Amino acid sequence: METVSSARFAASAIIPLVILAGMIAFVLWPGNSILNIGIPLPDVTIERIEFHDRLIVAYIRNTGPETVSIAQADVNDRILPAAIEPSKTIERLAEAKVVIPFDWIAGQPYEVGVTTSDGTRFSKAVAAAAPTPLPDAGQVSLMTLIGTYVGVIPVLIGLLWLPFLKRLSNSSYMFFISFTAGLLIFLGIDALVEANEISVENLAGVFKGPMLIAAVTVVSFLVLVYVSERLVSRTKRQLASSFAIATMIAVGIGLHNLGEGLAIGSAMLIGEVALSTFLIVGFTIHNSTEGLAIVSPLARERPKIIRVIALGLIAGVPAIIGTWIGGFTPSPLASTVFLSVGAGAVFQVVYAIFKFAGKSSEHFRSGNVIAGVSAGMLVMYLTALLI
Amino acid sequence: MRFNKLLIVIMVVAIAGTAFAVMSNLQVKAQSEDKMVVGHSAGVYRTTGDVLNPEGEDARVNLDEIDPMKYLREFDYGTVSKLEDGTTLREFTIVADDRQVMEVSPGVFYNVWTFNGTVPGPTIRATEGDLVRIHFINNGTKEHTMHFHGIHKAEMDGVFEKVGPGGKFTYEFYAEPFGLHLYHCHVQPLEEHISHGLYGVYIVDPKTPRTDADEMVMVMNGYDTDFDTENNFYTVNGIPFYYMHHPIQIEKDRLVRVYLVNILEFDQINNFHLHGNLFHVYKTGTGLTPDEYTDMITMSQAERSILEFSYKYPGQYMFHAHKTEFAEKGWTGLFQVKE
Repeated sequence: METVSSARFAASAIIPLVILAGMIAFVLWPGNSILNIGIPLPDVTIERIEFHDRLIVAYIRNTGPETVSIAQADVNDRILPAAIEPSKTIERLAEAKVVIPFDWIAGQPYEVGVTTSDGTRFSKAVAAAAPTPLPDAGQVSLMTLIGTYVGVIPVLIGLLWLPFLKRLSNSSYMFFISFTAGLLIFLGIDALVEANEISVENLAGVFKGPMLIAAVTVVSFLVLVYVSERLVSRTKRQLASSFAIATMIAVGIGLHNLGEGLAIGSAMLIGEVALSTFLIVGFTIHNSTEGLAIVSPLARERPKIIRVIALGLIAGVPAIIGTWIGGFTPSPLASTVFLSVGAGAVFQVVYAIFKFAGKSSEHFRSGNVIAGVSAGMLVMYLTALLI
Repeated sequence: MRFNKLLIVIMVVAIAGTAFAVMSNLQVKAQSEDKMVVGHSAGVYRTTGDVLNPEGEDARVNLDEIDPMKYLREFDYGTVSKLEDGTTLREFTIVADDRQVMEVSPGVFYNVWTFNGTVPGPTIRATEGDLVRIHFINNGTKEHTMHFHGIHKAEMDGVFEKVGPGGKFTYEFYAEPFGLHLYHCHVQPLEEHISHGLYGVYIVDPKTPRTDADEMVMVMNGYDTDFDTENNFYTVNGIPFYYMHHPIQIEKDRLVRVYLVNILEFDQINNFHLHGNLFHVYKTGTGLTPDEYTDMITMSQAERSILEFSYKYPGQYMFHAHKTEFAEKGWTGLFQVKE
């Protein structure tokens, strides 16, 4: 009786799959031309262009429905000798590297194109050629320095608000913790906009950028909600609970800063950013508010200093890692996914803050909260103008 | 609770799987053979992959539809017979088709429309006063005609008498005036029929022949392989860069006569520039005294000229469109001047 019912149970799961497989086999069966409608057009996406010593390198991906063969390459629409690795035949969604010996001039715009065997040309423009950083010691330390300035230092500065927050009255404290929520909402939306921008500009249509962003954001939000609930409920003590929330905030901000680092690294790579001291100052001011967000839940506690610094590093160091990834192995797909995870993480933190605030205060929808959120978003917007 | 754990496991596996798929795409398979790519202005690159070089020595093109070296000096005088009144009759059979796919540049395949299976079509040559009779057969899937430049009756103009698929038509006219002319399909959309390759050269020699020379035909054309009304390739005699890896052999001090015709679609002008030399220009070939002595001639579509020159020094000399865009998209060649 038991085996019969479990066999039935298994069958009920497998039968739809068998029917589905049969249906797919029928459609794809060699020689079956019932559903061969229209002509499949080739599509090739140039994902990124690098400038090395008298070489232009383009990374291309076959984003069309069928295998393509690349016949030639060009710079500014002028046919040039080139190499293609691993092969000029590229399978669906596979990648190839096109290397064109070319004496390029820094600062000039270039357009790189490839032509498929049916004569269709696909191209991508670069606003200004700049030498692609190679992962040598000098570049790594430059990236690390920028990451430190943009991520680590500002967050640590922000942590210094902790003694100030401790002396606030309950209602003022509510204002500041709501202010934190405002900051984070801004960061989350910012990450989504940035992810969308990258996917529109650099991600092939076949990856369906907007839906990828939506899916990754929602999934990471839910996963983090689940994980943090577990983390908080495991200990009943107040300190652990607020420290857990601070940790979640730090992780969320860390993911956000990873995205920011990616953006800076890849912008340096494609020569779109002349990284000025002004820009770094802008990022520093903008990101110091993130430190405030981390220490807000700890204002009623007496946390160990070392722990607070650890939280600051959790939030800040990913910016350095981001500049490395973005600068040396940029991938529009990875950037989009990272930014979306960051957005999901930040929204989860906002959710956690409101839950935390709801517990400690009865005036959840009070003027202080509304003023705090609004002020947080406005401050972020104004400091973002500096970037 | 168990269900939640399961869900997380699935999510983790899904994300890890996606990441793995992305990363594995980045891996490059190593191959044993090392090939070299030499840039125009700078740099040499060694590759384990494939080389893309339409103008290189190893550039391979299937020459079934067009062999630029053969086409260069090939003149079709037709089947010759005498009429009762002593007039020379030259009969030609020309078959149009629009179903061929030709390798117009290494690795690039394009649907060409052809006269007698080639782009450009055969060079039809007669002497002034000859009766020319063309047996035209349309083997294609669309209507086609042959429209000759020159003097003829209205009904022989190949414009209103469209020849459908499988149809035939006989064009008949006296070869006049002497000069360098052309023929092409005149069915609309004209742009489409011409840009796909339905054209050829028609030479009428003067009754007293021109002086002896090394004679050759050059047709300047282009291919719009992605149909955006802009040419992707420019050529002389059908294949981009062909004479770069197969230089035209000529002799020092020997008179060279080039029958140069521009049939380029979409672009307003085209031109021809000769290195290390100047040439005499006979516009449309209708005169016997040169119109100009220059090293550069510009033409719009269907304009043509006879060029005459001889080289003083041996060596390799370039000839190309002095519209550098065209030159760098295929319209470049070499003369090899031998002692």
